[in-house]
Amino acid sequence: MAEARDPLRYFRIEARELVDQISAGVLDLDQEPAPDLVARLLRYAHTLKGAARVVKQTAIADRAHEFEDVLVPHRGEAPVQVPADEMRELLRLNDEIARFVHDLEHPAPPVEKPQEGRSGPASASSSSSAEEDDEPAPRAVTADLDELLDAIGETSARIAPLREGSTTLARLHRGVEALGDRLRIGRSTGDAGARSAVQRLAGEMGVLGRRLTDAVDQVERELDEVRGRAEGLRLVAAGTIFTALHRAVHDAAEAEGKRVRFTAHGAEARMGPNVLNHVNGAFLHVVRNAVVHGIEPEAERTAAGKPAEGSVTVDVERRGRWAHFRCTDDGRGFDMTALRRVAQARGLLPEGREPGPQELIDLVLHGGISTSGTVTEVAGRGIGMDVARDVALQLGGTVTIDSHPGQGATVQISVPLTLLSMNGLIVEAGGVVATMPLDAVRQCVRLPAGDAATAAATGRFAHEGQVVPFLPLARTISPGAPDNTGAGVAVVLSADGDTVAVGVDRLAGTSTLVARPLPDLAPATPVIGGVAIDSDGNPRLVLDAHGLVAEAHRDLAVGGAAPEPGKPRLPILVVDDSLTTRMLERSILESAGYEVDLAASAEEGLDRAHRREYGLFLTDIDMPGMDGFGFVATTRADPLLGHIPAILVSSRASAEDRRRGEEAGASAYVIKGEFNQEELLTHIRRLIL
Amino acid sequence: MTTVERRITQLRSDFDRSFAQPLGSHDAGHVELLAIRAGGRPYALRLAQTAGLHPDRPVTPLPGPLPALLGLAGFAGTVIPVYDLAALLGHPISERPRWLVLATGTPPLGFAFHKLDGHVRVSAEAIIGEATGAGRRVVLRGMATLDGTARPIIDVPSARAAVHTLAGHAPGTEEVTR
Repeated sequence: MAEARDPLRYFRIEARELVDQISAGVLDLDQEPAPDLVARLLRYAHTLKGAARVVKQTAIADRAHEFEDVLVPHRGEAPVQVPADEMRELLRLNDEIARFVHDLEHPAPPVEKPQEGRSGPASASSSSSAEEDDEPAPRAVTADLDELLDAIGETSARIAPLREGSTTLARLHRGVEALGDRLRIGRSTGDAGARSAVQRLAGEMGVLGRRLTDAVDQVERELDEVRGRAEGLRLVAAGTIFTALHRAVHDAAEAEGKRVRFTAHGAEARMGPNVLNHVNGAFLHVVRNAVVHGIEPEAERTAAGKPAEGSVTVDVERRGRWAHFRCTDDGRGFDMTALRRVAQARGLLPEGREPGPQELIDLVLHGGISTSGTVTEVAGRGIGMDVARDVALQLGGTVTIDSHPGQGATVQISVPLTLLSMNGLIVEAGGVVATMPLDAVRQCVRLPAGDAATAAATGRFAHEGQVVPFLPLARTISPGAPDNTGAGVAVVLSADGDTVAVGVDRLAGTSTLVARPLPDLAPATPVIGGVAIDSDGNPRLVLDAHGLVAEAHRDLAVGGAAPEPGKPRLPILVVDDSLTTRMLERSILESAGYEVDLAASAEEGLDRAHRREYGLFLTDIDMPGMDGFGFVATTRADPLLGHIPAILVSSRASAEDRRRGEEAGASAYVIKGEFNQEELLTHIRRLIL
Repeated sequence: MTTVERRITQLRSDFDRSFAQPLGSHDAGHVELLAIRAGGRPYALRLAQTAGLHPDRPVTPLPGPLPALLGLAGFAGTVIPVYDLAALLGHPISERPRWLVLATGTPPLGFAFHKLDGHVRVSAEAIIGEATGAGRRVVLRGMATLDGTARPIIDVPSARAAVHTLAGHAPGTEEVTR
């Protein structure tokens, strides 16, 4: 049915694949002639010709045929550079075929015809529709994937009752076993028949329970896997933009009469199509700029002792939640003298001050200045830099330029990835389940209880003849939980060229997952890199390897005593008119590791509260002037202070005073007569971690 | 169109609309309230300012600088930060709250509280208005008396604003400073 309606349906898919392969192959042929490459290109062209004839796309078939004609003389030869004019012909044919295939994929909408009578608006609308047409295929795929993911989510939700059922069954099993035990021990009750029946029942329930648990476990694991892979399908390999970049380098080099070699690394890094499209657009300018402005003419290169052939390298690297796109050339670098001259001529720099190289580069990033003496057709006026900066800003990232005069330059666009497909190691620490990026994990070492305690106490761990920092994960991601003193696992991981060990309670397997950034309004410690959705639809924390490495070093530096990682703990303001109480409270709090400020009256307290950020107020009730209730109520009503918890400390023990304290908005009420250091600290820890 | 057809169309659209219209928007004279308890004290929420009410929703704790931020909850593939209403109101954070109400507006935000006393419809006159948060806490706006108990009304947009202030709402800043 579908074929009858649309005879080109499968041809489009096949032709797209072949055109992509031909486009990449032609560029490779130009750079690295090889007989097997010629054979491969001939095969692609031949297949395309045959398929095009079948569906009566003669325009494509004829060009594929011409393409073959150009290549045939080079078949089976020892590697010989294909002459430049033949290369040009191959590229021309390649472009024409690509255009025909593109037109097949995006047929012009029939409604355009009548609009042709109108001049201005018609052209505008057709160009905008062409832009929209660039997207539909991935969008449809994304929609399908979203539906698939919804279906998986739904299925997972249906499994949840089964999981509960197996828990219930386990409880029943225990009950029946207990009943069996009682029947066996209590002589007076029951007969032998009933006893054996209960035992049999218990046995059967045990088997059933185990089977059910195993089956549910397995289905959940597999669903998890399917979900991870489906989410991964939404993402596109970075390598898909390399052909276009290679072509841009080739065309620019040809226009400039330069020889430039293009290399690319990191084709397998996967990311959202949106990110890739934007970066591709910017990098087309960046690589052209590298060829036009960076790479010197051949004579100049040889004179400088460089290889005659220039080099432009594109690297794509994923580091944690960031993708880095680098374009490195071995040309002359950014021309600082020219930049300085132009910038000064335009009055962009303050008079009487010598701008540093980075300042000049920033001017390049702001566009409008080109280092090329004449405006060339290919890359003029620093537009490329401007586009790169805009794209980075649009994607929430940054652009950096590293230029070495005479040696070359690197332009790097770094963008945060919203969706990141990764393999994760699931760990448990302090009752929290989290996922570590598996590609950062070097080794997992079982830690007996004694070793775990030593590592946690000293913050050090011996790994391959080296002492590396040891971070008990629970201390960071579950500050309320006591340090685990039992056996555990040390996960050795590397990031930023540094190795650390992270202590966890246990490993719970690996999974494929898609990490997304933390939502807005959810600030977290830097060890949390993002969040993934587990098969029950609940968020699971994804740890950041770079954050863990930094935290392990920080933890080691402060002696492992910091219960609140990432941010410095806020100080506590003690308000009391009695010097003794102030000093007593200060010594208790300081020995528990808090920083303390003192105020002798509520008025002074309010004044101090506005001058510094506090994590907690600890106030007496009976004070000259404004009393503690007043202090609490006033701070509660203050939009800047209302969120800071306040504890009342007083010798007043009546229920009425407690009620008044609560009404004023106090978070806790501690009675001085029963003053208990631990109780106070418990309140404080609960309120400010 | 015949009278019968018109009548059928009318009935059909009435039937459909009875599902489409949110309860409580039928007349302006009444207000839908959720009677809740947070930190052991009675409060009320305007139903119209909420986008969903959920019991026993798993919340993944998120270690970070804000004790009021309980953690993250998943809703249909979206991850939503959940704040403890009691903590925002200045009550001590005791046991983990059971109920979760989604706030209207963006970005997505949930508030957790301990106990749901019920869902009530009161006449607008039963609510004592308050123009601004001049009361002792900035997230409270007005009072409602239900069954003889005076309940301060938590204004969800103000509570959201308080969270935005707490979180220093600037997406992506933590990555930049790293």
